[in-house]
Amino acid sequence: MAIIEPTASSEASIAVIPPATPSSAMGALKRPVATKGWRQWVFTVDHKKLGIMYMATAMFFFLVGGLEAVMIRMQLALPNGKILNADLYNQMFTMHATTMVFLFVMPMTAGFANYFIPLQIGARDVAFPRINAFSFWALLFGGLFINLSWFLGGAADGGWFMYAPNSGPIFSPSHGVDFWALGLQITGIASLAGAINLIVTILNMRAPGMKLMRMPIFTWMSLVVQFLLAFAVPVITVALFLLSFQRNFGATFFDVSAGADPLLWQHLFWIFGHPEVYILILPSFGIISEVLPVFSRKPLFGYPFVVFSGAAIGFVGWGVWAHHMFASGLGPVSVAVFSISTMAIAVPTGVKIVNWTLTLWGGKLWFTTAMKFAIGLIVLFTIGGLSGVTHSVAPSDTQQTDTYYIVAHFHYVLFGGAVLGLFSGFYYWWPKMFGKMLNEKLGTWNFWFMIIGLNMTFGPMHILGLQGQPRRMYQWTENRAGEGFFNLAFWNLIASIGSLVLVVGVFFFLVNVFITARNGKVAPLDPWGARSLEWMTSNPPKEHNFDSIPTVHHLDEFFHRKYAEDANGQMQQIATAEEVLKQLEDNADTHIHMPSPSYWPIVIAFGLPVTALGVIYSIPLAIFGGLIILMGAFGWALEPSTAPDTDFDPPSSGNTSKDVVHVG
Amino acid sequence: MLGRVIGRLKTVILGTAGTVFLASCASNAPQDTWVPKGPNAQKIDSLQKPVFAVAGIIGLIVAAAVVYSMIKFRDRGQPIPKQSHGNPALEITLTIIPALILAVVGVFTFRTVFDLNKTSDTQMIINVTGQQWWWEYDYPANNDFGITQPIITSGQLVIPVGTKVLLRETSRDVIHSYWIPALNGKRDAVPGRITLNRIEADEPGIYAGQCTEFCGLSHANMRMEAIALSKEDFAKWVANELKPYAAPAEGTLAKEGETVFLNQCTRCHQVNGLTRADGTPVIAAPDENVWSGAVPNLSHLMSRNTFAGAMFDLLTPECRTDVWKSESASFGAKYLAGVSESCLNQTDLRGWLRNAPEKKPMYANPAQLASTEGKYRGMPNLGLSESDIEKLVAYLLTLK
Repeated sequence: MAIIEPTASSEASIAVIPPATPSSAMGALKRPVATKGWRQWVFTVDHKKLGIMYMATAMFFFLVGGLEAVMIRMQLALPNGKILNADLYNQMFTMHATTMVFLFVMPMTAGFANYFIPLQIGARDVAFPRINAFSFWALLFGGLFINLSWFLGGAADGGWFMYAPNSGPIFSPSHGVDFWALGLQITGIASLAGAINLIVTILNMRAPGMKLMRMPIFTWMSLVVQFLLAFAVPVITVALFLLSFQRNFGATFFDVSAGADPLLWQHLFWIFGHPEVYILILPSFGIISEVLPVFSRKPLFGYPFVVFSGAAIGFVGWGVWAHHMFASGLGPVSVAVFSISTMAIAVPTGVKIVNWTLTLWGGKLWFTTAMKFAIGLIVLFTIGGLSGVTHSVAPSDTQQTDTYYIVAHFHYVLFGGAVLGLFSGFYYWWPKMFGKMLNEKLGTWNFWFMIIGLNMTFGPMHILGLQGQPRRMYQWTENRAGEGFFNLAFWNLIASIGSLVLVVGVFFFLVNVFITARNGKVAPLDPWGARSLEWMTSNPPKEHNFDSIPTVHHLDEFFHRKYAEDANGQMQQIATAEEVLKQLEDNADTHIHMPSPSYWPIVIAFGLPVTALGVIYSIPLAIFGGLIILMGAFGWALEPSTAPDTDFDPPSSGNTSKDVVHVG
Repeated sequence: MLGRVIGRLKTVILGTAGTVFLASCASNAPQDTWVPKGPNAQKIDSLQKPVFAVAGIIGLIVAAAVVYSMIKFRDRGQPIPKQSHGNPALEITLTIIPALILAVVGVFTFRTVFDLNKTSDTQMIINVTGQQWWWEYDYPANNDFGITQPIITSGQLVIPVGTKVLLRETSRDVIHSYWIPALNGKRDAVPGRITLNRIEADEPGIYAGQCTEFCGLSHANMRMEAIALSKEDFAKWVANELKPYAAPAEGTLAKEGETVFLNQCTRCHQVNGLTRADGTPVIAAPDENVWSGAVPNLSHLMSRNTFAGAMFDLLTPECRTDVWKSESASFGAKYLAGVSESCLNQTDLRGWLRNAPEKKPMYANPAQLASTEGKYRGMPNLGLSESDIEKLVAYLLTLK
């Protein structure tokens, strides 16, 4: 499956290397060859196409999760809300969190990682392209599977943290939690496969000269995230298996009357759940660590500190899980220790904020939309980080936990942090992905509506929480609302209005995408004066990414190919982006192997929800699902390693200037 | 320039401090977490206020630095800056400073955590049991406070002021969390475990709280109130709770209500001392009908101010306001007066008797009880007639 990259450069060598395996090797089995229409998407193994599909899927679920959020805020706008009943409200906040965490932020960061890591490290694809395709389809089917529960008797209603025993078969009798647990297993498989794929890619497929400490910071942060996933996902997998067995097969893992302890679930969930927070936030840290230097015209301040603080967060993140359980009666020793470790993790996080601010300092700042979102992240994430410090103080956390103060905190971290970072990434990399510039004017509207909306929505929640309004209440009552400036009625209403402002902000983005697709400005080769390898190719990149793999001499290789210090220590342009690209094209590899598409990743992935459905409703169906997976695995193993070039439309050799050979 | 920035910062900090001061004014929400009314909550408050202040100042410094950079270093056509990769000395300094601040906070946190977990100074123990969706309080016999036999009540936790009370919490079904913000932080009530929670009130008064661990359908309606009474008033309250049952006089509406109660309610609800016509004592068996095994004991229902997991008031809004807003000196007498006929919140109580699941979301529809073997989670609709409700209300009013 690896990409073979022969160094042979003579015309003769092409002639003597035939396509690796003829398509008829295994009789009926062939590799798909479509380069047009829906087939080019459904059977693709191209990391860029898959990246775009990840992002489109994530954007869809962002809208679903956003709709759920708006329903929640409408219900809470006024006392004794009547829009949703208690049952539906509980489903709504459970699915809002589940959707946003597992089906929006995680796939969106996976999309960015898929698209940009190979480009940033100078590779032509990921290490295991078919597994990459499988990861995407498993994610999509897992997400749809979870949401199927809305139409089959109600969605999960136990909160995204799904504490036992409230999530058990007695207290949550609908099938919602079954769909939730099995659906997350499927998306977990996707994450795990994706994580291993990207780790192998980053460690093995960097361009010559790209030492680890010359790697772009987004790739670095993504690497940390993939390691976190590889170790955290198995923990939730275990927890979800226990839950599914309790619900579907009569096990008693969390059943007190059988001698079990429900706190087991909490430990398992948060040992996964806290690294998960960093899984959600670190990719955005990586994105803005790319964006800030580009638009400040100077390198990231303290690159090694940002790298190592990211890695430090990755390690310390495993030692703080019990801060989600300060009220559960763990005893003073555990509480004190976890309190201190939680304070400790604030230090590397603070290092990042310092470095971003000092990256701006002394720069030549260009306030594009991408830059605005990145700066917004610095300020708003800082608020979320500092409110986090206030509840690392365990005694004060016992006042704050499970109130709206916590809701405010993690929305500043996840919306003010993760989501703003993702939007910064959209505006920064859109020209790279689609060859067109997103409209900056609409981008500015998008930015301001989102910033105002998110502060209006989540800012008042600090007040609501400190005034004692608990989370997860389908109604609030005037009896407990107070009267003064901080009364709950006023601030609940403001938060609800704020959520509508946020909706308008997101709407501006969608309009922007639509308008850009219709008649957006064609992107120049290097619209932002960027610094890293992904910009050293066309917009959008060719299927094989680079005509020749560049040799890397610096951190910010692209920048140093364009600029150099003159005798006076002033930075002077020595080459244009076009000239840099031309140099690569002139030295193009004559023989580039790319992986062929495959039928089987989507087949195996489809077998997973079928099996899961069978676990809930009928075992024969589960067996049928298992057979689909088995058939997919056989197909995967037996298909020829490539399709002949001449099968492609248009045929790859002869008609194109590059000799692109598709191998498996 | 710098002077002006500092001047502006001062304004902002003073403005914030002013807002914070406003937050501690009296008319705030009753669950305000910044207004401690007892030594445990006070300890938390003295720890958290400086942390909030420091966090606020750091936040303002970061925001100011970012805004300053945005203005000072915006692109005015200056040359591309020198490609400096950082300044390790500065970097290390800015790592050590926050680490030191946090170390100081850590020391105080450590001490407070252990202080708040002390149990050796306990003067009174109350067992607190969470159940979907109400709290039960069980006072073990305690001669120091005249509790000669256990008292079981629900909805409102009554404690004497200046007394170190230790709550021993557990749950009969899912995890709940006990929280009276003015008196202490939360402590989860976990089935199969007993967790400990210190409570102490400085002054007589009523302190609102709410279940804060998501516990299912009616989590939002699982409220509680802590009532702190002076030591003398607490003794009166205990005496009232231990008072034997007084049957309504023959021929009254209340007496007819007692019959309805015997027929309809005693399968689950206990009223201590209630006897059948033949003189045998009535022992309720809620475990046969309710999944989690218990329902509120109604022996002295009208001595408390709320019902149905403190979701509803037994007092009319005017009478409720009178109790909640009373001075701490007169509070005890007002609370001990209980619920009179004129103060009774007839609307909610009758609505509840008419169709409980309609007033509060519960699993009480017999068609949906497969997972609990037909047992209820919450009070079902009893299908009472209006005249039965009339009689029951008259009877319940006698349960002082």
